[in-house]
Amino acid sequence: MDVTEPFCVMDCSLVRCATGRSCSNLRELLEAIRAAPETVVEHHMMRCALEDHFELHEFPNDLARWCWTVLGDNVLGEQLALVDPYRQSSTTALRAAIVNVLEDRLWGLDHVPWCRPGLELHLIESYLIAYDTGERIFTPAALVEAIGHMSPRSLFFHVHDARRRTTGRTDDFSQWLEQSGAEESLVARLRGIDFYFLSLSQLRDSLTEAFRQYVAEAPPVARIAP
Amino acid sequence: MRLLDRYEEIVGHQEVERLRRLAQRLAGKRIVHVNSTRSGGGVAEILGWMIPLMEELGISARWEVITGPPEFYRVTKAFHNGLQGLPVSLRKSDFDLHYQVNRENAQRLNLASDIVIVHDPQPIYLPLFTPPGQVRRWIWRCHIDASRPDRSVWKYLEAAISRYDAAVFSMPAFARPLACPMFLIFPSIDPLSDKNCAIPETERLDVLARLGIDPIRPLLLQVSRFDRFKDPLGVIEAYRLLHPYYPEMQLALAGGPADDDPEGAEVLREVLDRAGDDANLKVLLLPPDSHRTINALQRSATVVLQKSLKEGFGLTVTEALWKGKPVIGGACGGITLQVHDYHTGFLVHSAAGAAYRIRYLMRYADKRQRMGHTGHAFIREHFLLTRNLRDYLTMLLRLDHPDATVI
Repeated sequence: MDVTEPFCVMDCSLVRCATGRSCSNLRELLEAIRAAPETVVEHHMMRCALEDHFELHEFPNDLARWCWTVLGDNVLGEQLALVDPYRQSSTTALRAAIVNVLEDRLWGLDHVPWCRPGLELHLIESYLIAYDTGERIFTPAALVEAIGHMSPRSLFFHVHDARRRTTGRTDDFSQWLEQSGAEESLVARLRGIDFYFLSLSQLRDSLTEAFRQYVAEAPPVARIAP
Repeated sequence: MRLLDRYEEIVGHQEVERLRRLAQRLAGKRIVHVNSTRSGGGVAEILGWMIPLMEELGISARWEVITGPPEFYRVTKAFHNGLQGLPVSLRKSDFDLHYQVNRENAQRLNLASDIVIVHDPQPIYLPLFTPPGQVRRWIWRCHIDASRPDRSVWKYLEAAISRYDAAVFSMPAFARPLACPMFLIFPSIDPLSDKNCAIPETERLDVLARLGIDPIRPLLLQVSRFDRFKDPLGVIEAYRLLHPYYPEMQLALAGGPADDDPEGAEVLREVLDRAGDDANLKVLLLPPDSHRTINALQRSATVVLQKSLKEGFGLTVTEALWKGKPVIGGACGGITLQVHDYHTGFLVHSAAGAAYRIRYLMRYADKRQRMGHTGHAFIREHFLLTRNLRDYLTMLLRLDHPDATVI
């Protein structure tokens, strides 16, 4: 394996801002999604994974959670949970996909679902500020070790955010391994992780497990060199 | 040992190292925090740890306190209530007094710096009276739920906020639309402070003996100022509803007046009156520096209550969860972020609800223990001061580099 450039471990921090706008029913949510800045749509669909919330959530984005738990619209909750922002070509396309789901749902309803006072969806815009941690990883084996200790924010940056940053729309780990000449099966295994479905601690486990399975299944000559 | 090194033992080397990395980009920046008291209340506690930690990270941080006559604190207490939605009747002379005290303090305080962070409404008019060029950026940190304020109070304060570069709220629900950016930063606790550090068992038992609390029998505890929004009378009602089922139960209501809370004495009288001569019900009026006493009480509690009707973030909930106690909290404000049914405690909407959930927790000791364990881990991950500090540093970097994604 020819590793030339070390892997640069980044961390990031979430800056959250209130917009002063909130939604108390499904129609207001539709109007908000149509008009809100991109940073708001991105926050509630992607960067909400970095919020300091209790890891109970069944759904991967704020909109699905709110529709399911607060509006009590289970059908819509399920539909929004399936909107994968990382498979959309842009935030404009993501917004259009959400609007389509919401419009379709509203079209078929006799009444507009609403929430009780105090349970409104408060729209938040957020920004990610990333920084170099100074840590460098030189071998794939060291990468496996490092992932086990990385902050959840680093995992978000190198997996979630990388999908929007990199030309190949892939994660930083598999891209680095690929460039370093790692086995295709390992790269494919990492890229096959359904990361949007997972919490960040589950993502860590899945990454570690993908490496473990590769080492267990690969013939001895192909194993990761230390 | 440096101060930050001590936090490494709790949050890990990596978290502290990342703080140092972030702070390198802000080295030498001069920050002044301003509030209205050095003791009592959550803000003074936060500043008590934040200033030295910022200093250790290479940021020049100072803490200034505004002062005024007793009448000023009556007015600012009314502002506090008004911001939280309680109807208040203030005369023009009250607003004039607040305005004048801010003018005098702007002349007295040393505010020259890159950033002044003004905490809550008491010093909110300082930017108006500070000479131009002395302060580069003003940030208003609102620790109160200002989502449905009294109109007259908000109109008066809103005029002051227009002079700020940014505002900071604890939760999105607490914010009102403003022209400046409204950052969101959850508050936090200091795990090494006297109120939250581990204490010897002998000290805990000494405290209980001194306060006349039986260490064997179950203890319910609410720690908060004697304030109507904390609903101490509702806690007593819940305790009385429980009496037929758990006659051996004890209740302690522990609080102390802050320098800027003249209403506390009145509420305390009502609480004492309602408590009567019940030997199992202790109303403890503690001095502001009773941190270790409160620590011992929280560690001794079977269940901790925070039955607030309105709440900012609810740091007493954070403290109790940190000590591995399940919390029964009013479903309001930041309590809803911390208390999750069947995981870290229960959210309740009435005294009857509180009594019912206490019965549940008394019945299942194993669930109490599991909730306590979950709560402790949850607070370590999200609500300790290292996370709070990281959020502040990130906000300052965002203000300095509004278009940067990598710094």
